[in-house]
Amino acid sequence: MTEPMTLAATEAASPGPFEPKIVAFLCNWCSYAGADKAGAAQIPCPDNVRVIRIMCSGRVEPEFVLQAFRLGADGVLILACHAGDCHYKEGNYRAIQRHRLLLQMLEQFGIDQQRCRLDFVAASEGEKYVRVLTETVEAIRTLGPLGLGPPEAAAAPGPV
Amino acid sequence: MKTGVYLCACGGTITEKVNFEKVAADLGKNPEVAYVHTAEFLCSEEGKQFLEQDLTEHRPERVVIAACSPREIEGVFMQVMERVGLNPYFLQIANIREHVAWITPDPERATAKASALVRGAVARVGLHQPLERKELDVCRDVVVVGAGPAGLKAALCLAEAGRKVVLVEKTPVLGGMPVRYEELFPNMECGPCLLEPVMGEVLHGEHAHNIEILTLSEVVEVKGYYGNFAVTIKQAPRYVDTVKCVGCGECIAACPAATKNEFNYGLDERKAISLPFAGSLPNVPFLAFDACLRAHGEDCQLCRAACPVEGAVRYDDSAKLLERSAGAIVVAVGSDLYDCTRLPALGYGSVSGVYTSLEFERLLARNGPTGGELRLPDGTPPKSVAIVHCVGSLDEHHQPYCSGVCCNYAFKFNHLVRKQLPESRIHHLYKELVTPGKEEFALCRHAGHDPQTSFWRYGDIADLQVAAEDGHHTIRYRDTAGTSGQIEADMVILCPAMVGPESAGRLSAVLDTPPDQFGFFQELHGKLDAAQSKVRGIYLAGACQSPMDIRGAIGQGIAAAGYVLSGLAEGRKLTIDPITAAVNELACSGCRVCGSVCPYKAISFPPDKQVASVNALLCHGCGTCGAACPAAAIQAHHFASPQIFAEMEAILQ
Repeated sequence: MTEPMTLAATEAASPGPFEPKIVAFLCNWCSYAGADKAGAAQIPCPDNVRVIRIMCSGRVEPEFVLQAFRLGADGVLILACHAGDCHYKEGNYRAIQRHRLLLQMLEQFGIDQQRCRLDFVAASEGEKYVRVLTETVEAIRTLGPLGLGPPEAAAAPGPV
Repeated sequence: MKTGVYLCACGGTITEKVNFEKVAADLGKNPEVAYVHTAEFLCSEEGKQFLEQDLTEHRPERVVIAACSPREIEGVFMQVMERVGLNPYFLQIANIREHVAWITPDPERATAKASALVRGAVARVGLHQPLERKELDVCRDVVVVGAGPAGLKAALCLAEAGRKVVLVEKTPVLGGMPVRYEELFPNMECGPCLLEPVMGEVLHGEHAHNIEILTLSEVVEVKGYYGNFAVTIKQAPRYVDTVKCVGCGECIAACPAATKNEFNYGLDERKAISLPFAGSLPNVPFLAFDACLRAHGEDCQLCRAACPVEGAVRYDDSAKLLERSAGAIVVAVGSDLYDCTRLPALGYGSVSGVYTSLEFERLLARNGPTGGELRLPDGTPPKSVAIVHCVGSLDEHHQPYCSGVCCNYAFKFNHLVRKQLPESRIHHLYKELVTPGKEEFALCRHAGHDPQTSFWRYGDIADLQVAAEDGHHTIRYRDTAGTSGQIEADMVILCPAMVGPESAGRLSAVLDTPPDQFGFFQELHGKLDAAQSKVRGIYLAGACQSPMDIRGAIGQGIAAAGYVLSGLAEGRKLTIDPITAAVNELACSGCRVCGSVCPYKAISFPPDKQVASVNALLCHGCGTCGAACPAAAIQAHHFASPQIFAEMEAILQ
């Protein structure tokens, strides 16, 4: 599938490497702890990713992802506990289910599925955390800007 | 909103990469920010003192602290806020250490990212609600279901701590299964000797007044929740007054009616009024009414006439429904054995002389059907005994797991058979040999060194076939190398997988704690909280949770008591964490999607309202319901959509 190349996108692509803005939802118990682990190990990591802490990946409403795109994010990451490790037993399974459906919807909206990645990072996996972030940044850098901002339209909260 | 922002340098490890002047200058343009203060080590004692004084002086409406991970530090600063009279939930931490300074090599980029995260925290904290921890009066009494080793130990621990305990036991006796075993692995101590002191404490000990024992009883209904359960117990009639009876046994001697003794798996008979086995406790007979002549229209009164105590035998006894209050419930109902008739080739139930391990325990017991003597149905001692391990275990057609107990008792059997029948041959047919434990292997080694004991490893239990010909048995087998053969064995003992208790379905429905895929009671967490169910306030002890040995069961009984004592502590109310889900009743259509995704059964639909209702005590605050609600009628406190959206908007600017 192809995305419309907006004016902003062409502009951003020309002067230097495009720096995507990525929002990451991290569950408190595994993935956020994994990110902290990457910090403690001082593993260099792209600065494009802004983390929002939630208690469980099961908390991620599809609305969160859509809203992130509306507010100017070029990509969204959802990081969850590995299967069987969820602090709340099965929240990560809900995240998987919702993510699958959401990808179909994104496709209908003309948003490349690579822009919304779900992955699993354990509390011990600082290195994996950095790897997933780096891969995601590179993938979205290749895709270019989504260009759904500017925030005027998004500033007014949409129907919830 | 007047928000105070604190930037912590963390001894320079943050400021090495993040330029606080630039961050403060960015924040200065934000109308929500009242002030930006910096500190060298905000989490140090001096730092906390500074924070306390500064908050007292400036009285901000909201606080943002940019420092290390909230997982490390949030609780510390929440306490400081509480001390100065600020709502601790009016705090948001921006993690500019692990998530910025320590992973971003370029200082300019690190500074820009730190600014964004602090901006997000400021935007979010303005929408934080003044959440309050609620306190609830609780009942500190406990209902323990099951009086085996786990339940007895739990009850005793709680009673010793001064708690009132109702001990509910389905059978007429205490002690569970091991009290019926002659000897226990690995040290060959006798089962009753191990448990009688515990039962003695429960029945007559210093703290026995704290324990109400209800035998022949089952929990039939549970209402309420952690801290305030209302438990309905159905008690079947015993027809003998447990207080008046002196345990002399005159009634048993006088009784003319007999019935199969289910405590010996029907291997012998007992009187209609009887004790299940010699030495069983409480030492009070019970009358199995179905077997009594009175149930068949005769006016037999021989037992009552023989009884020396007026009113101890009571024909007018009847089933009772008893109501008890409890703050917590401990489930310790034990396990069952895999149904061996599901492996018909092994001959259980169709070929005489084939026994399950539990039946064999009774054959070995001196208070069992043969007085502890190993005898074939024709009365002669067996010349050869085959012990089949892994019956229904490690097998995808039956139970996939290893119970971890059977090999140990199989080698105990080896030891006891050898002691009693020195000339006999013993065969072990096994799929895997598993003898965990620091002492248990000795029994296995002992059997391995015995010249009259042989080992046969099979690959598939379907390759074993037990047949009776001319009064003795043969077992046809195929070993793992594919070689077929035949073993002579007069007696065959099957060691079946331990499976979830037969009562699990009924009891788990009453308790609303669904069983796991194997039929055991499901634990909250396999390692951290194996003695807790997924429902708060309902604890699990012993083999009802997973196959385990006596030591494991007793350990879990103590663990369950520990949970109760720390959770429902004396002199303390129950605190409810406010980070839970909350329902906007006007927006809820009652579709019940939220209830279906809640892992903790915290959401109900009271019939008078037909909308969702969250029990804050049971809710763990994961927020999955909030994500599932199609009408946004459920909000996750402290992680509400408007808060997340505000944070997102600010960090993306």
